[in-house]
Amino acid sequence: MNGRIIRALIQKDIKVFFSNQFFALITGLALVAYAGIYFAMPSTVDETIEMAIFAPALPQQFADSMGDEGVVLKNMESKAALETAVTDNEYAVGVIIPESLNQALASGEQGKIELYFSPEFPEELKEVYVIFFEEIGYNLSGQRLNIEVNEEILGVDRAGNQIPQREKMLPLFAVLILTMETLGLASLISGEIEAGTLQALLITPMRMEGLFVAKGTVGVGLAFFQAVVLMAVTGGLSQQPLLIIVALLLGSLLVTGLGFLLASVATDLMSVMSWGVPIILLLSLPAISLLLPGLTTNWVKVLPSYYLIDTVYQAVNFNLGWADAGSNLLILAAFALVFMGMGIVVLRRKFQ
Amino acid sequence: MSLRRVGVLLGKEFVRGPRNFMFIFALVVPIVFTLVLTLLFGTFFSGKPKLGVADAGSSRLVTQAKEVDSIIVNEYESDEALREAVLAGAVDVGLTLPETFDTAVQTGDSVAIEAYIWGESLLQDRAILGTSIAVWIRTIAGQEKPVEIIATTLGDETAVPWQDRLLPFVVLITMMIGGIMVPATSLVNEKMKRTLTALTTTPTSIGEVYLAKGLLGVIIGVVMGVVTLAMNRAFGSQPLLLVVLLTLGGALASAFGILMGMLLKDINSLFATIKGIGIFLYAPAIVYLFPTLPEWVGRIFPTYYIIGPIMEVTQKGASFGDIAPDVAILIGIILLVVGIIALLTRRARQGGALATA
Repeated sequence: MNGRIIRALIQKDIKVFFSNQFFALITGLALVAYAGIYFAMPSTVDETIEMAIFAPALPQQFADSMGDEGVVLKNMESKAALETAVTDNEYAVGVIIPESLNQALASGEQGKIELYFSPEFPEELKEVYVIFFEEIGYNLSGQRLNIEVNEEILGVDRAGNQIPQREKMLPLFAVLILTMETLGLASLISGEIEAGTLQALLITPMRMEGLFVAKGTVGVGLAFFQAVVLMAVTGGLSQQPLLIIVALLLGSLLVTGLGFLLASVATDLMSVMSWGVPIILLLSLPAISLLLPGLTTNWVKVLPSYYLIDTVYQAVNFNLGWADAGSNLLILAAFALVFMGMGIVVLRRKFQ
Repeated sequence: MSLRRVGVLLGKEFVRGPRNFMFIFALVVPIVFTLVLTLLFGTFFSGKPKLGVADAGSSRLVTQAKEVDSIIVNEYESDEALREAVLAGAVDVGLTLPETFDTAVQTGDSVAIEAYIWGESLLQDRAILGTSIAVWIRTIAGQEKPVEIIATTLGDETAVPWQDRLLPFVVLITMMIGGIMVPATSLVNEKMKRTLTALTTTPTSIGEVYLAKGLLGVIIGVVMGVVTLAMNRAFGSQPLLLVVLLTLGGALASAFGILMGMLLKDINSLFATIKGIGIFLYAPAIVYLFPTLPEWVGRIFPTYYIIGPIMEVTQKGASFGDIAPDVAILIGIILLVVGIIALLTRRARQGGALATA
């Protein structure tokens, strides 16, 4: 292998990649857009229900106990103040528990609780608040239930310590960046195959191995660099940076292998897109299932991107160590080698 | 202009269409978008807590839970399946009910139930589901309601569900992909492969080629527009008026597509241009996402006149009289773009660069 020729080829490929207006534009825009979306999203999770309340006779102890269950009651000075606050969408829900309620309950009569919804409150969620205050009525009246509930929390209890959606989105962004570069690399190679320039290169001192090293370096380099920049900008490298970098590097190798495979079947940008978009969607599924729990089950583990996404997610949010990430990294490395090998074999056949 | 030749060209576009990525994209994207939005806003992002139940008998608790719109209820065959679902986050709380649950509750006997809570479920969802379950059990037990809840919604505005807010976006994307991208990519492809030059050396005129490709965009735009509105149950009570509006919208989108196909040399430039002007194309749909934004902002953009009248009819039940001024502006814009296409074609013909305009 001739290092000088490979270097020249890498420089040329990078130049050609960025001369493609489509890929040059989406490469830059995507990085900025993903970082922008990340920073525009809330950095904390508000998991409480905040309600305005005017309840002169309600014991403070009761309000405090509800706070422990995620229901924050904000005392209003008067009924009018509560109505104004709810009308102005300052509070989504307001409740008035009149002084006469305790008397009514004590005498066995049915009391009344007034519930107010703001104009923007979704219609379909109102019913559950009515039920919620019915139960409060039962509690205030002292009626008991002869039920024994055996509660079990499954998974890590994150009550009060939820992971913000933007942290769950980081692995998705990383996968999208990596796979978009796959399309760029595939388009670059397929264009050269169609134009016959790759065959022309092979009659120079450039050897087949050198050609793959050059193309592979461009593919891995472009994908890896952008993914690392995104993680660095969003603070994703603040925990276990080396582990995340290794995972992204293996991910870049994997998508470069896919890029080779894609280039072997595609003839132009349109066919790269037709093959590439379904692949991107498939590889993104494990990341989407982080955002939408319950969307997928264990079958998602057959997708190679699962091992990249799981490693990045766990390392960023749970400080996953090398020992725990070892099996993920090994499987990811195996997938990367297989795809890289398959890509080289198939593409080599196409050259010949 | 020969209508027979236009028909032959249009037929060819339909036969060759399935080989074109953008053609398939135009047919698949609206359906996928609608399904994804239904899934996201009907289930995942609805803000509704999710309850899973494994009921060994046939408890009234399940019936009551299903009657509440504010809660999503999933039933599971066994306690094991329920546990798995809770662990995966498919539901926030899972409840296993014994076979004799209702009888035990009604007779006042002590009864034990298993409740699984997903560790990542929000406190508010746990609270809502917990209190709701308690109320349903009390109802089975026959406890009298000690309080009457009087619910009132304050103010005059009504909340617009996210699925409704996103509908203009889906319809506009449908029209833009079918109307703009299909004719534009088809035209650019023919220029790149030089088949356009070959075609115009026959008796076929460039105007006939443009018309055939434009009609392709209109037909795809209308058909997929109808499919999208029907899937979103937004076809309303005036289907004929909607088809007319979709046809006019498709005509404007196709005219834009033809214009782009004429002006751009290759697919890369076309994609880059679409990305560059995308924000202007979809700006009216973004205005619909935020009802507090003044409506006049959307009216600045030509594509408003595609989506505006359609949304007035589907969401507000407007009649033709209500939307006539917007329709007149839409027709005016169509004529303007068609005029520009005609002018550019004539100039190209005079310059002798017909096919590479």
